Amino acid sequence: MNNAITEALAKPYSGKRTSLRVLAVTLGLGVCASQSQAQEPMPSITLTTTTESYDPIRYEAAFIIAERWEELGLDVTVAPTEFSTALERLYDQQDFDATILGWTGRTDRLDPQFFLSTLDSRQSNPGGNNPGGYDNPEFNALFDQQSQAFDPDERQQLVMEMQELYKPDAPLIVLFYRDEVVAYNHDTFEGFEPMAGEGLYSEWGPMEAEPVGERGTLRIGGPQEPDNLNPLASTSVWGWKWMRLYYDRLVRLSADVEPLPWAAESVEQVGDTTIAVTLREGMTFHDGEPVTAEDVAFTWNYYLDQDYSYFNSYLAALENAEVVDERTVHFNLKEPSASFASISLSQIPILPEHIWSEIDDASSLSPVDVPTVGSGPFQFERFDRGEFMAISKFDDHFYADDIAVDGVEFIIYADMEGVYTGLQTGEIDVTAWRMEPGQISLAESQDHLTVVNVPDFGYYHLTFNLRRPPFDDRAVRRALTMATDRERMVNVLLDGRGEVGNSVIAPVNNYWHEAFIEQFEFDMDAARAELEDAGYSWDEQGRLVR
Amino acid sequence: MAVHSESVMSSRRSYLIRRVFHGFMALFIIATLLFFLFRLGLPDPTAALITEGLNPEERERIRASFGLDRPIWEQYFIYLVNIVQGDFGYSFHYRAPVADIIWERLGNTMILMLPAIVLAYAVGAPLGAWLSWRRGSRADTSGIFVGLMFRSAPMFWTGMIAILIFGIGLGWLPTSGMRTLPYEATGFFDKIFTLDFLHHLILPALVVALYYLGSPLLIMRNTMLEVYGEDFIEMARAKGLPERRILYAHAARNALLPVVTQLAVTIGLAAGGQVVVEVVFSWPGLGREILNSVRTSDFPLAQASFLVMAAFVISLNLLVDILYTMLDPRVSFK
Repeated sequence: MNNAITEALAKPYSGKRTSLRVLAVTLGLGVCASQSQAQEPMPSITLTTTTESYDPIRYEAAFIIAERWEELGLDVTVAPTEFSTALERLYDQQDFDATILGWTGRTDRLDPQFFLSTLDSRQSNPGGNNPGGYDNPEFNALFDQQSQAFDPDERQQLVMEMQELYKPDAPLIVLFYRDEVVAYNHDTFEGFEPMAGEGLYSEWGPMEAEPVGERGTLRIGGPQEPDNLNPLASTSVWGWKWMRLYYDRLVRLSADVEPLPWAAESVEQVGDTTIAVTLREGMTFHDGEPVTAEDVAFTWNYYLDQDYSYFNSYLAALENAEVVDERTVHFNLKEPSASFASISLSQIPILPEHIWSEIDDASSLSPVDVPTVGSGPFQFERFDRGEFMAISKFDDHFYADDIAVDGVEFIIYADMEGVYTGLQTGEIDVTAWRMEPGQISLAESQDHLTVVNVPDFGYYHLTFNLRRPPFDDRAVRRALTMATDRERMVNVLLDGRGEVGNSVIAPVNNYWHEAFIEQFEFDMDAARAELEDAGYSWDEQGRLVR
Repeated sequence: MAVHSESVMSSRRSYLIRRVFHGFMALFIIATLLFFLFRLGLPDPTAALITEGLNPEERERIRASFGLDRPIWEQYFIYLVNIVQGDFGYSFHYRAPVADIIWERLGNTMILMLPAIVLAYAVGAPLGAWLSWRRGSRADTSGIFVGLMFRSAPMFWTGMIAILIFGIGLGWLPTSGMRTLPYEATGFFDKIFTLDFLHHLILPALVVALYYLGSPLLIMRNTMLEVYGEDFIEMARAKGLPERRILYAHAARNALLPVVTQLAVTIGLAAGGQVVVEVVFSWPGLGREILNSVRTSDFPLAQASFLVMAAFVISLNLLVDILYTMLDPRVSFK
């Protein structure tokens, strides 16, 4: 099937290709005549991508890319690789030429900090987030400035400058942002607000849903389950997506990703490195104990103490948390941090001190011993591994009057096929994860289903290994970027449900996205010109040489 | 006479001891292979955490908490010592004792596979015997055709067709999981002794049974055809016994041997579950867990699941060899 697709794609261009080859040959000869020294052909390139069964889209994308790069006279081999192995080779071993992978759009990544850090050269050591090895001191300096800039406008300016700075160097190709296409049963529940990067299974989803059928309990179906529900050991999105429904945070991000005070009544900057948080009055944990400043300070210091890797990036700036009075906590930072108040405060849950203070090593708790008492809008009911999870509405929560559902049940299926069948038969009301391309059109034809397209700010990328030729040459990277037909990927592979990539900060993240940077439109002639200007030419066989 | 039976007894005992010893040796070798195979073949268990944005130091700390920072021989030694003590370790992914996970999932798998296999053999073997009696007839050819068809059709396909017809189309049967929500079950038996559970069991069990039906059917039929040529059948006919009695009481009993072997091996392998069926019907069994454990490089869970499977196959093989001697006195201990 893949061959059929690539063949079909290649057909209209095959005529053009031969004529270009003739052109290339003449050019090559011309250069040969003028400079008599031997010309080196370019090293062959291995293009690593995921296996077809893991992700058919990234797999096909690799062939679309390879096709065009070969047209430029490069020798390209596509290597479909098992996902974790591809990750390991790219990040840990940095043993790759060019690799196609992606970053998921997690809410906290709407803050530009994380995606920008993937181009910081201090992250280019093995295992770091900048495996390509882009090294631009100016970029690093701006990165530090923006991460300490409190003034949003000033920070916005710096973030834009950073995008303008890295983009012409083409250290990576941002291929596309893929819409998350999810669906819900409008005969049973209504009122969902889609959230970028989260779809309908956002932390607001269950609070917004309104029953329109007989059942008051919202049923969500997903293809994966949490690794565990230990707030100091879970290392998966699935764990936190569920836990955040029964643990409260000081700040919650709105659907437009604006930080809203939640368990906090107010968040104030009281010095360069101190943030004062005043708690809401009258909150209680699910076991009836009051939520106090002691609990909040304890939680943050406990997280520092327990050294929970998953949250380290949120805690990196924190020196300690201290109780000022019954409702006020001071967060003392090591250095000014722009993202602490918005991101970190919205990620760390509030744990009850009276339960967790007795636990010395939280990460090694057996699942049956993990406390589940929070102060969130829902309270924990059960978790039957491989089958389902349940929470019920917590009536004493300050937001309880705005919640229309009685509770939430999450049914765990083996794959998206099962999830979709569940949606079709009415077993579940909403999908927790994006549907497969084939299911989307099926769902659209069903009367009881509403299909929702949610733009994503996570991106699929092709990362060049800047340590290896030919990618150590900026001109080659620029030319290869121009020779990458991203428009076609969005139209053919995503069926139009997505957007062509242009920056690590996606257009949907409009406050931080720089819209006017160089776009690198697909243009084979421009790509060739770029190479020629940099002194490349083509030999008799049409191979790129220098 | 007494001397004779005593020597049979002692030869049986030494045979058993030898076989059990061989079984343990095989398990030891398998355990060793699994240990090194997963560490060499699977990516680092913390590799997937890169996408969560964890930096190398943070991942190194997690690796250390799994004991993966120690020399591989030390890890191997600890692993062997733990296994001997019946401790399969802690799952990296679930942060839970591996044994708890495996026993629960194994239970779920067996409660699906056992009824399905028993059904397949209870129907397949007599049907095969009957077909052999009617060999060459239309019933025979169509019986073979149906058996072979379900045996060679991919199970996910049969499963999806079944879901499409009985689940979505007619809406008679549930298509996923073991129970209808919401439920309150406190233990394993609480979970399975309900009508609701049986209701959920029907579709996946039927799909599995149809798949397995072919082997007892064909084996029984073909062995029966061989048995028909034996002298004792001639003898029975000469005695004027009714054909039906010859078929079931004389021929079938003698043709059962290969069917029993096949049954035991099938049950042994069934411990690993039918991954495909467990995925198609979202059945929380061991097969799905094995797949996940390999995907997440959860070494302790993957090792233990495969080891449990191996132990099942080895012990059922042993059981069959012992059963043989009871079913067929000609088989002796060597």
